[in-house]
Amino acid sequence: MMSKIKRFLKSAASFLWIVLLSGGVMAGLWAGYQVMTKGLIVTNLTDLIPWGLWIGIDLSSIALSAGAFSLCAVVYLVGLKEYEPVARTATFIGFIGYSMAMLCLFMDIGQPLRFWHGFVYWNVHSVLWEVTMCVGLYFSVLMLEVLPIIAEMDWMQRVFPKLAQKAKSIHRISPFLAILGLSFSLLHQSSLGATYGVLQSRPAWYRPTLAVLFIYSAVLGGISLTVFASMLASRVSKKAKINDQILNSLTRALGWGLLGYLYIRFWDTFSLTYNYQPGRSESLTMLTSGTLSFNFWILEIFLGAVVPIFIFLKGKWRENPTTRMFGLLCAVVGVTAYRWDTNMVGQMIVLTYLPREIQILYTQYFPSLIEILAGVGVVSYGFLAFTLGVRFLKIVDHSIAEPVIEESHSREKERHSQPRSLPNPTGD
Amino acid sequence: MTKKIERRDFLKLLAAGAVTVVGVQQKSATQASGPVGSSPHSWAMVIDQNLCTGCGYCTLACQAHNDVPPEIEWTPVIFDRKVGDRDVFLSRPCQHCDHAPCISVCPVKASYKRADGIVMMDYDRCIGCRYCQMACPYQARAFNWEEFDGDNPAVPDFGKPEVERRPRGVVEKCSFCYHRIDRGLEHGMTPGVDTFASPACVVTCPVDARMFGDLNDPHSNVSETLENNAYFQLRPDMGNDTRVYYLPARDA
Repeated sequence: MMSKIKRFLKSAASFLWIVLLSGGVMAGLWAGYQVMTKGLIVTNLTDLIPWGLWIGIDLSSIALSAGAFSLCAVVYLVGLKEYEPVARTATFIGFIGYSMAMLCLFMDIGQPLRFWHGFVYWNVHSVLWEVTMCVGLYFSVLMLEVLPIIAEMDWMQRVFPKLAQKAKSIHRISPFLAILGLSFSLLHQSSLGATYGVLQSRPAWYRPTLAVLFIYSAVLGGISLTVFASMLASRVSKKAKINDQILNSLTRALGWGLLGYLYIRFWDTFSLTYNYQPGRSESLTMLTSGTLSFNFWILEIFLGAVVPIFIFLKGKWRENPTTRMFGLLCAVVGVTAYRWDTNMVGQMIVLTYLPREIQILYTQYFPSLIEILAGVGVVSYGFLAFTLGVRFLKIVDHSIAEPVIEESHSREKERHSQPRSLPNPTGD
Repeated sequence: MTKKIERRDFLKLLAAGAVTVVGVQQKSATQASGPVGSSPHSWAMVIDQNLCTGCGYCTLACQAHNDVPPEIEWTPVIFDRKVGDRDVFLSRPCQHCDHAPCISVCPVKASYKRADGIVMMDYDRCIGCRYCQMACPYQARAFNWEEFDGDNPAVPDFGKPEVERRPRGVVEKCSFCYHRIDRGLEHGMTPGVDTFASPACVVTCPVDARMFGDLNDPHSNVSETLENNAYFQLRPDMGNDTRVYYLPARDA
């Protein structure tokens, strides 16, 4: 173990990368300490814009974690076993993503030590309550799914062989965990959209499509990030071994998925133009030609949907790893921008309550330094956890499933056989 | 261990978990989704824009009485419009909606409705997520962004606040001075008539622009005023059914 760590750190680039991320985490810790001691006054949030950068990170990391539940469902419920190693990567990314989201929320709520209230004092009418429950329960599912991965680590097997064996046996209930994960995720990924969509007081959001668009874009973004991270890992680390055939076919599916997403997105946006509604029409103007227009047209629509659709559906571009990775990154950026814009647009346009005439109040928000540093800390933690996971936990290792790929043509046979146990890691 | 037992164990575990959760839920079910308890009263406020001069005493009395921090106003007075050459103002306490959006969105039931119509805040339960602030169309809710320590400039030398100060990190709002109402009723008084039993803003208003009373009593001042005058509510398009009524300013 120690010699491995030393060898890992010796490589200058990875050393620099680790130092950089550790610096980010340290800055985040300092910022988090400021938030905990001084309160949310250190942020630039106001009573009119109560949800800012951290909620943006929270929404994005939950959305980009959706690869975990969708790929686990594909593998264990649909039965496409050849995607199992990708689901493994997605599960680990999901685990990181949800822990990032919870770190953000812990800082963001005014009474962090009351975070458990949602689990005890139920308001079943509140979509945010449902999100709280599902995120908490789903995180437990992810923990169970990640435990076998940690148990397979050489070091764990050597030092705690019995414990590792126990943890590995969790793998047997994977199909059940996949069902639970699918239920919780379908519920809260869409409810996060509904969290905004149910607010009648904010006409920029008030419509049912947000729930649909949130779950749809989350699945696309989550799988995109998983494939992108797998490919990136295989380029920079010898530890990561990918099967390009799997990733190629997943990417093609993403292309068709994005096409459908763009279609729904078009009608969702276009329907806002039909009539004038105070607040709602202004929000559309803000998106298409106002403050958020760059985000909307360039990041969300052009880079987030149009570019990846072309790359993913044109065989030559998809098969080229560089263009494919670019397309995947674009899709990830698109989902992140969509979350950010959705969160901001409804808060930047506030309606007054004066009688007779509803007036529009425009508000401004830019995160404070402490907010940014805390955000940097959370994101650095995510990158750091993934980097260490690639190095020590074999989370990107498609060689584990290579025998299955050969069998994939005779899936019938496999279906009747016992769940395949993962081979023991062979060490370096 | 065979797979079958694994599955059964798993289901057992699920069932046990569900039972535990339901048990805890039963214990915390004191605040049901509907109004809490029962009450013969239905409180409402009437604010007469003809009389209001915009002096802001209601805001100040409220701050002193409820120990509201200087940067928060539970019932701010804002300029509404001009009628003739006269300025018309609008004082905006919490509207205590019958269909309050803040209550349905709160993830922990920190906001709830009393049977007498008052929208309450449980400051020991609020987690400070601020979702209610987004749901409220009246901006009636304010977040405690920092700890409020030290003297409250609104509190005069001769008195002290009747309400405990809220901690950092919770959302607060007007409560119709429910503690004064409850205390008055205990002493056999009539809220809205006896000053001891009426909200601080109503008591302090120097021009008697505010009225408070029981809508269930057809002879209460609010019932009779609403019977005989034109009135309006804020954002009726929201369908919230608010409990604060305004008498519109007429051209004198």
